[in-house]
Amino acid sequence: MGGAIVATEILWWIFAAGIVGAALGVVFSGSVIHSAIFLILSLAGVGAMYLFLMVEFLALVQFLIYGGAVTVLILLALMLTRMGAGEKVNGAQAPVAFMVAVALGAILLSVAVRTAWPGDTGDMPHNIAIEAVSEKLFLDFGAPFVIASVLLLVALIGAIVLARQEDGE
Amino acid sequence: MVPLENYLALSGILFSIGFYGVLARRNAVLILMSIELMLNAVSLNFIAFAAYLDPDRIIGAIFAVFVITVAAAEVGLALAIVIRLFRNRATSNVDDAAIMKW
Repeated sequence: MGGAIVATEILWWIFAAGIVGAALGVVFSGSVIHSAIFLILSLAGVGAMYLFLMVEFLALVQFLIYGGAVTVLILLALMLTRMGAGEKVNGAQAPVAFMVAVALGAILLSVAVRTAWPGDTGDMPHNIAIEAVSEKLFLDFGAPFVIASVLLLVALIGAIVLARQEDGE
Repeated sequence: MVPLENYLALSGILFSIGFYGVLARRNAVLILMSIELMLNAVSLNFIAFAAYLDPDRIIGAIFAVFVITVAAAEVGLALAIVIRLFRNRATSNVDDAAIMKW
């Protein structure tokens, strides 16, 4: 049992390093296509984190929606809006942005590490049943669920109207 | 067992990387990708808190589902706007799309 736990922790650190490395690739890579590939890696890594946290349903959703749909959409948009060869990917404010982001990261890290979180028993998280999730979602969160559905419909129609090729254009 | 702090630290790092991307990048699609990173950091935070601090562990997953829903709607709309911008002005640089800036 102890060996398995140590192996899980080593695997966790490998995945965490992969997520951070891929995320750095997204924001520092010079090519937009490389950025999109790194984004797929990073989002898949977050899906693996959901597996570590024993939320298998969300891991599946993450792989399908982010790894599949969202990244395909982003790659498609990249192909349609190809940048000029000499165009700069970063603006003049990039150094300031770097400093601000490092400061924000330092604050978040210190808060995460130095706070004594209550009720942290150190138990292994148990798997949550998908039936329980659906019951909670459809009973207690019925109204937000319907609103989210309407939001998706509105976004869908809006995207079609925006991207439609009009006559005489 | 990986402690809760590790997940929070990972999510904080991921969020700041996405934050840097939003501020530094000028291509609209790259900014969108950085926003996706930030949204994922938030979802990871929700799930980690639910896994360690919530006895029935379900609410966090439901919040993450809503985050993913809104992110999907946002990506669809934003890419439609980017394609529209590219068609009208032949650029996807957000600095060139400043006609509504006062």
